[in-house]
Amino acid sequence: MKPVNPIIISLAMLASIMLATPALAADGAQLYKTKTCFTCHGKDGKTPILDTYPKIAGQNPAYSLQQMKDIKSGARANGLSAAMKGVMHLVNDDEMKALAEYIATL
Amino acid sequence: MKFKIFTLLAALAFCGSAAAWLEGGGERDEALDLEPDLENGLDVYEVCSGCHLPEGWGKKDGTFPQLAGQHRSVLIKQLADIREGNRDNPTMYPFALPRAIGEAQSLADVVAYTEKLPMNPDNGKGEWPAGTPEFDMGKKLYEDNCVECHGKDGEGSAEKFYPKIHGQHYAYMLRQFEWVRDGKRRNANPDMVEQIKSFSNKDMQAVINYVSRIPVPKEDLAPSADWTNPDFD
Repeated sequence: MKPVNPIIISLAMLASIMLATPALAADGAQLYKTKTCFTCHGKDGKTPILDTYPKIAGQNPAYSLQQMKDIKSGARANGLSAAMKGVMHLVNDDEMKALAEYIATL
Repeated sequence: MKFKIFTLLAALAFCGSAAAWLEGGGERDEALDLEPDLENGLDVYEVCSGCHLPEGWGKKDGTFPQLAGQHRSVLIKQLADIREGNRDNPTMYPFALPRAIGEAQSLADVVAYTEKLPMNPDNGKGEWPAGTPEFDMGKKLYEDNCVECHGKDGEGSAEKFYPKIHGQHYAYMLRQFEWVRDGKRRNANPDMVEQIKSFSNKDMQAVINYVSRIPVPKEDLAPSADWTNPDFD
């Protein structure tokens, strides 16, 4: 087996970091607006448009993230989750993570 | 007034099966007859702009439709249908409620506001440009099936509650067309359901591709795709 050029390895590592960076740097506050979360849950995460929608401000990020993932995949389809399912294609895994972390700070 | 007469005629003509398409009376007629207040329309529109954007252009990927330039009558009907439970749209539902957008006067105001917004010069389009067989196929399908109601140029009819479809996003129209064909869009015009029932998925994509590429009259368009709504400064 030919030894792999260390420069190629470095470049590959750099590329993977660069690919991951936008996600890590994703601005949760910005996503909360552009992905339309605030329209239902309120700008502060505690003034939902319907009394039957949850206040999410301060929620544990692991819990928020799991709910988002489950609603997106359809694993959770009960209650009023159909309303949120309609927009979940707008966010990927990294964006959901950034959102969950942002919501926890509200 | 003419809307009321039409509604009455429609009710008489289609009694029963078409009730879900166009029910007369109530706040729908009330809103159509009210003198709109554009300033209040802007205030009401703020909640809508969270998804439909300040420009009223919706999203190119079709998640949210373009509202800019749409006939007032069409949007009043859709809002009333959604809030009365006659059109299923769980995401939109709370925003159609009086708590979010108010009563008949506010309905009249907000749709008058969006009707005057200049349209998106860069709407989402299907994949087949003019000159492809699919484009020609869609054009033929459009001419044979759609012109009578939606008009030669996709302008629709304010008087008959037929939506303006030129300039609308491809993915949004495709989804709605499929729901109309398959009965999921409960407030669809039964004439349309009948007209398109034999459309294959390919027919559907071709005709919507064509519609998404019908040029919008220049005077209805914003000067550029970078235009932002100055009311939201």
